Amino acid sequence: MFQYYFLLGVRSLRRNPALTALMVLTLAIGVAASVSTLTILHIMSGDPIPHKSERLLVPLIDNAPPEGYTPGVPSRERQMSYPDASNLLKSKQGERRTALYGVSAAVEPLRADLEVFSSQGLAPTRDFFAMFETPFLHGQAWSESDDASGADVVVLSRELSEKVFGNANPVGRRLTMMGFQYQVVGVLDTWMPLPRYYRLVGVNAFVKADQFFIPFSSAIRHHTSHSGNMNCFARLDPGFESLLASECTWIQFWFETKSRAGRAELQQYLDNYASEQRKLGRLKRNAPNQLFNVMEWMEFLKVVGNDSKLSAWLAFGFLMLCLVNTIGLLLAKFSVRAAEVGIRRALGASRRDIFRQFLIETGVVGLAGGALGLLLAFGALALIAMQSKQMAVVAHMDWVMLAFTFVLSVLAALLAGLLPTWRACQVTPALQLKSQ
Amino acid sequence: MEIRPILSALLRNKTGAVLVAVQVAISLAILSNALHIVNVRQAVAARPSGIADEESVFHISARHLKPAGHNEQLATQARETGALRSVQGVLSVAMTNQVPLSRSGSTNGVAVDRKQANETGSAAFYISPDSLIKTWGLKLVEGRDFEAADVLEFDEATSSEFPTTVIVTKALAEKLFPGSASVIGKSFFFGTGEDAQAVRIVGVVERLQSTSAQVSSSGEYATIVAMRMTGPNAVQYTVRVEPGQRERVMREAQAALRKVSSDPVITKPSDVTEHRGERYRADIALSWMLITVSVLLLLITASGIVGMASLWVTQRRKQIGVRRALGARRIDILRYFVTENIMITSGGVTAGVLLAIALNQLLVSQLEMARLPLGYLGAGAGVFWALGILAVYGPAWRAASTSPALATRSA
Repeated sequence: MFQYYFLLGVRSLRRNPALTALMVLTLAIGVAASVSTLTILHIMSGDPIPHKSERLLVPLIDNAPPEGYTPGVPSRERQMSYPDASNLLKSKQGERRTALYGVSAAVEPLRADLEVFSSQGLAPTRDFFAMFETPFLHGQAWSESDDASGADVVVLSRELSEKVFGNANPVGRRLTMMGFQYQVVGVLDTWMPLPRYYRLVGVNAFVKADQFFIPFSSAIRHHTSHSGNMNCFARLDPGFESLLASECTWIQFWFETKSRAGRAELQQYLDNYASEQRKLGRLKRNAPNQLFNVMEWMEFLKVVGNDSKLSAWLAFGFLMLCLVNTIGLLLAKFSVRAAEVGIRRALGASRRDIFRQFLIETGVVGLAGGALGLLLAFGALALIAMQSKQMAVVAHMDWVMLAFTFVLSVLAALLAGLLPTWRACQVTPALQLKSQ
Repeated sequence: MEIRPILSALLRNKTGAVLVAVQVAISLAILSNALHIVNVRQAVAARPSGIADEESVFHISARHLKPAGHNEQLATQARETGALRSVQGVLSVAMTNQVPLSRSGSTNGVAVDRKQANETGSAAFYISPDSLIKTWGLKLVEGRDFEAADVLEFDEATSSEFPTTVIVTKALAEKLFPGSASVIGKSFFFGTGEDAQAVRIVGVVERLQSTSAQVSSSGEYATIVAMRMTGPNAVQYTVRVEPGQRERVMREAQAALRKVSSDPVITKPSDVTEHRGERYRADIALSWMLITVSVLLLLITASGIVGMASLWVTQRRKQIGVRRALGARRIDILRYFVTENIMITSGGVTAGVLLAIALNQLLVSQLEMARLPLGYLGAGAGVFWALGILAVYGPAWRAASTSPALATRSA
């Protein structure tokens, strides 16, 4: 019977073309608006590493001077000073750990046809690659002894590798960056987590991934200047050494714990560490030490802007309006069919049958609306992607959203169809037959 | 007039009327809030940066690969500035550490008293050995521009000196010394505590936005100091050209910088228009999205009203015929439908105003948006009344044209 009613529904689309077209269009526009804004929200706020986001933790230690401190007011610090970062690296706490900071390098390719160019990269430890599960195309991460000695080794992104070395495997070859020779130990396959959760401070969360990775210890050894956000409380003396000794915060830190329970242990360690440092005359604020997992960290840094939320809210308000409109249109469509319902009822169809038939018919409208809505949503996303490079990265649809479009559209249509269908069931057969 | 009978007819068949009223209410709530946000964002994006005639200014950075000593860098800077000045169409060149609206640069905490626990505010920190006032066309409202004697030569690797004179924006002067008639000669501090640096104000410019051009008043807190710096291997120049010449001069400037450099140099041009577009891209994009939604909203609401009114006219053909036969004129029928519609729309508008205020309350508390001025509600209500009358006019006219004979004959 479902099949028959479905066919009837498809056929009735043609019966009142203007009204049906209006209905399908209204639904499609509403669904397209919601789905395109939601797609952006979904990608911006999605968990970038679901299976271990609970175990990746950012520590924050408030090392600002005691002046002007009000207990309970959260710190403005988002990063860490070098003394804290190097102490935590030495701590061997957690399963893995990395400090990292952004570097900008002038790359000098060996090929004569390529000019020198600028490239953005990252200085993490070896653990970084395992912690954030970067895919390797060639080679592997550098060794622990490279970390210890500050060796001049580099892991390239696929893009940078292809730009400089073509399609060849560059592992073992050398590349001149920032005036030093770095030996290539690995090449990452295309890796672009969205948002770029591993480094959110001082950079846009939705831009291209880093192009190269050099050991943190090597960057420090070469006094590689930092590219990104830095916060100082006192005047900084000249030179890189004084930056390392200062309380300026400019380094991002991550721990990975073995299990979720490791968080409490880590918290305990941080508190102990802070009180030890206090004895040495640092961290005079005695503010709480904080830990954030990936999702908490993104929430804390407001990765999803209020504007994206606003768009999604308004789009849903708009979908509601489209729903109300569709209810009206369906009422109009069904009301002219009272005679038909009367005859069917007189011939023995129960209210339940009528209800099913009309609801399936609205479902068909919903499907049509979904299909058109999907097209419109693709169009809208393409328009949004044209706005900027950042939006181009975010505005693309995945399978989840694709399925969601149809579910939303059919659900919306069914919801809108409830009242008109119920009204259609109330038709009294005798009255209809008499007036014929 | 004939409100009573229309009302009682409406009350007997509520569904359609309620649907139309709900549509009007939702539309009004969304429309008034959306238009308000659009206006706020457009106003934010239209704020002046302080740079006069932005179309005629561009920036170019030069990055050298080899680390060089202090004197060598000074020579390179002089050579590059000279090369840029000699490009045809260039009016003025200044070296600078950062430019407005570029969204990257440094700020410094400022304080009136070094013993303060917290800084008074945070201000953009512009450094230039040349005249930014001249190159950017900043409007000097008080005091003077820097003179040669003000310029401090600074080697980032070894010096720890700090300039003693500063030019501030009017907004910052007002923040530091509220209500004072003149701030020239007054001193304030960069930072607080022991090593805070005292600086004396020598000039005030009307306006200069910070690099991130915040929406709050701190977007216009800026300081300029006169320093010739070495240290970072990338140097940025900002250039004013003759009107209409920017594209050509930008190309030639890049070539000129490459020509005077013996070692490979990475040059990167950018301009104020581009920075402005990037800075306000999100605001403009949101505005367009809201405008699109608003237009669709109006269309859908109008189509809803037309649809429902057509349905009623069809349903009541007999009733209309009877009324016409009993002596009602066309204008009476027309008036009936229009009045009915005004009543429904009024109900929707009343609910819509309440809904709009509630929605705004939600946006203010959850998403930090601005409070909705009442004017938008009035304008929105007006729009929907007009829309209602326009939309119902067609179906009502069709109803009025029904011939009494035709309407009563059938079935």
